[in-house]
Amino acid sequence: MTEEFDDKLDRAARQLATEISPERDLWPDIAAAISTPQRSRWTPMFAQAAAVVLLIGASSFLTYVMVKDDRGPGVIIQPELVFEQASFGGNYHLGPGFQDARNGLRAELDVELDRLSPEARDDIQANLDLIHQAIVDINAVLEEEPDNMRLQQMLLQAYREELTLLRRVGGLTRNVMKRNDI
Amino acid sequence: MEALLTAEGSDYSQGMANAGTDKVVEEEAWIRQAQRADARAFEALYRLHADKIYGLCLRMTGNVSEAEDCTQEAFIQAWNKMDKFRGDSAFATWLHRIAVNAVLGRIRKSKRERDRIQAVADVQPARVSTGDTGELRDLAEAVDRLPERARHVFVLNAVYGYSHEEAAGMLGIAAGTSKAQLHRARRLLVQQLESQGFTA
Repeated sequence: MTEEFDDKLDRAARQLATEISPERDLWPDIAAAISTPQRSRWTPMFAQAAAVVLLIGASSFLTYVMVKDDRGPGVIIQPELVFEQASFGGNYHLGPGFQDARNGLRAELDVELDRLSPEARDDIQANLDLIHQAIVDINAVLEEEPDNMRLQQMLLQAYREELTLLRRVGGLTRNVMKRNDI
Repeated sequence: MEALLTAEGSDYSQGMANAGTDKVVEEEAWIRQAQRADARAFEALYRLHADKIYGLCLRMTGNVSEAEDCTQEAFIQAWNKMDKFRGDSAFATWLHRIAVNAVLGRIRKSKRERDRIQAVADVQPARVSTGDTGELRDLAEAVDRLPERARHVFVLNAVYGYSHEEAAGMLGIAAGTSKAQLHRARRLLVQQLESQGFTA
């Protein structure tokens, strides 16, 4: 084999057709395959949100363990104070009972935090940040999948975790969230 | 490995870079729409790239039926991975990589490829319509008869102009292996083509 032959072979190879039309239209089979519900655009975000919610659960428990012996006396709820508007995918709203409890607890949070050690305070704030980010993330996914029951449940769980954490800090909430609170 | 597929040096990517601006803009719009699960936009991408992908699959498999299956599999996988396309490489290059994976996956799943090679050694192969004529047709047939790995490297390197590094990245082999397989492919092609009067 010579270099000359190699060059001729390479030149000939570069002239081979690189675009060849299929003998039949392949699109109908592709269209049928991609129209099946195998594909889920929100799966990655859903997985992230699920992981965040799981993390929240574990983290909240850890926070509870840390602060349960470091907690001062309870504080009266001040329902007129509003921390932030809870959302639910833009299409749902939290029930008034939950909103009242949540707003009241959020209003007292700073007072409660001042009674805790800096370490416990930082941990609680980190957990709350985590929960809020989860709520934002899940709401973002719900904007695209507003009727997704699992996402609704996850969001409800995130709000429940937030409420649980606030209750553990303040020991005040007596409301229990239910599906019909939405 | 992704960096290997940016393919700045490949003729194929260069060809894509030289495509008309309007076409590129149109393709980018279709990509964005397809990433939002717009099947019509994805069909437009299919129409734009089907011949390129089918051509690659046909060259790599040498079999119409398998090339059709691999093409369909490649586009289905592309649909499922659309949100992973970041534009780091040309869309055609990204599709090429998926198509090569589809071909390799298909080969791994079955023994049909080995059976096919054995079969073509024993009987005259059915004519695969590639549009090649004259000596090119002889060369195309000779490429079809190459052993699997040598054929894959020859197709990607010599036909599509990918570098050894790029071809190796697509095939999951070392660049040195790609060079060795290309040398092997050339040697086997010489043996076949010299007997048909193809001389330097």
